[in-house]
Amino acid sequence: MAARAVAAELDKLRTLPVVAFTLIGTVVTAVVIAAALAASGAAAGAPSSVVELVLAAVPFVQVGIILLGVLPAGHEYDGRQIATTLVALPDRARSLAGKTTAAAAVVGVGAALSIGAAFATAAIATHVTDLTLTADRAPWRLTGAIAYLAVIGLLAHAVAVAVRHLVPALVAMLSLMVIISPVAAGLTEHARWLPDRAASQLYADTDAVLTAATGPLVALAWLAAIGTVGALRFIRLDP
Amino acid sequence: MSTGGLLAAELRKTVTLPAAWAGIAVAVLGSIAITVLNALTTRSAIDAGTPERVANTSAFETAFAAMPLGTVGAVVLGVVVISSEYAANSTDAGGGRQITATLAAIPRRVSLLAAKATVLVLLVTAVAALTLPATAGIANAVIGGAATETVTPAQALVRGLGGTLYWTLTGLIAAAVTLLTRSGLIAPIVLIANSSVVSVSLLLTNLTPLAHWLPDLAGRRLFTGVDTVEGGLAAGPGALVMTAWTVLLLTVAAVVFRRRDA
Repeated sequence: MAARAVAAELDKLRTLPVVAFTLIGTVVTAVVIAAALAASGAAAGAPSSVVELVLAAVPFVQVGIILLGVLPAGHEYDGRQIATTLVALPDRARSLAGKTTAAAAVVGVGAALSIGAAFATAAIATHVTDLTLTADRAPWRLTGAIAYLAVIGLLAHAVAVAVRHLVPALVAMLSLMVIISPVAAGLTEHARWLPDRAASQLYADTDAVLTAATGPLVALAWLAAIGTVGALRFIRLDP
Repeated sequence: MSTGGLLAAELRKTVTLPAAWAGIAVAVLGSIAITVLNALTTRSAIDAGTPERVANTSAFETAFAAMPLGTVGAVVLGVVVISSEYAANSTDAGGGRQITATLAAIPRRVSLLAAKATVLVLLVTAVAALTLPATAGIANAVIGGAATETVTPAQALVRGLGGTLYWTLTGLIAAAVTLLTRSGLIAPIVLIANSSVVSVSLLLTNLTPLAHWLPDLAGRRLFTGVDTVEGGLAAGPGALVMTAWTVLLLTVAAVVFRRRDA
């Protein structure tokens, strides 16, 4: 039954055109941004490396991943498909588990594809342009970037489950990730505890306190907190 | 329907939308929260004798740093004014869209769009009239005489009006894009992401100077003082270019709206 719940949720996502468009859009964004970063680095004469270019593209790619994470739960409330979903699978916990698994799958695929595409683009672009190459940063950071994007996507999913509306969840996640977090980081060192700042230690070793091990734990605590609120609301309250 | 009645109807529809109030809350309360945080940081830096720790100790600059949140609020308002018309109702209630009722009541589509744009301008201006004095007042109260104000009242007024213009134009662009796509997804993504540090337009300026003519970058000098990259258009021409973009997008949206099926 659990497998069928996941299969049903994946089927819904497969037949939702906006999911396919978002996946394609995210990968295209990754390619364009990686190429643009390489070209602007070459134009400015700033030395860089393939891994460095890919990591610099992550903040842009995360916008697409956020949409991808918001869609599985959000689209159910864009209209009343949620009612149909719960008629088909009245066990709310199982329904939510299936949906979360499907969301994790689509977000993971999106993250891996876009980082892969950015890597391929950066590798080609560094050969085509006359970019000065520096020694490559540890390639495991690319895996870290994929994990970071997956965490951000799951956070978007948790917010969408908790908020139960597509556009408000999207705006909330986008504002937090690209406006509030950078503004707060400029104001106070405590901004490191925000979920995206903490999770970014997976690929961007920039923080004095959090490391690549503890940063993700902070982000997971956020994920657990928001996810618990969303799950309680989903399981206990009227849909 | 008279012009006054049309405006009143659109205003009432908008202010009864919870999402519109969410947008207003982001702009007003979010800006106030950021300003409080920023002002307290600045004040403690001054008191500790290390004012170089913060970018600027001026109370007005401290308040003005919260401006990006107002842009988010304006985008949300611009999107919901249009997207609420196209959101499908609950299937229990027939699954209809409000746009059909709206167009039955007011079939003159360009007038309808003009009324919506007017309501949006009014709301964004009201939000700015509330937010800017509130944040400037808070920053002044917290920082007070501890630092010298480097911005004269006249400059503060001009920059406040410039910021308001930027918010308004961004809101109108959001409304035009939402009307063209009939979806509330594209405009927030493009406009919110681009108004942040994760700006594709900003990246494009490294590749071609033409990117300075994109609407968000053309208008950014309206926020003079907020950290931006060098180059590009000055405040006056930039505002004109951004206004031209807004008019262009609204015109295209109006033509499409008039010609296609609702």
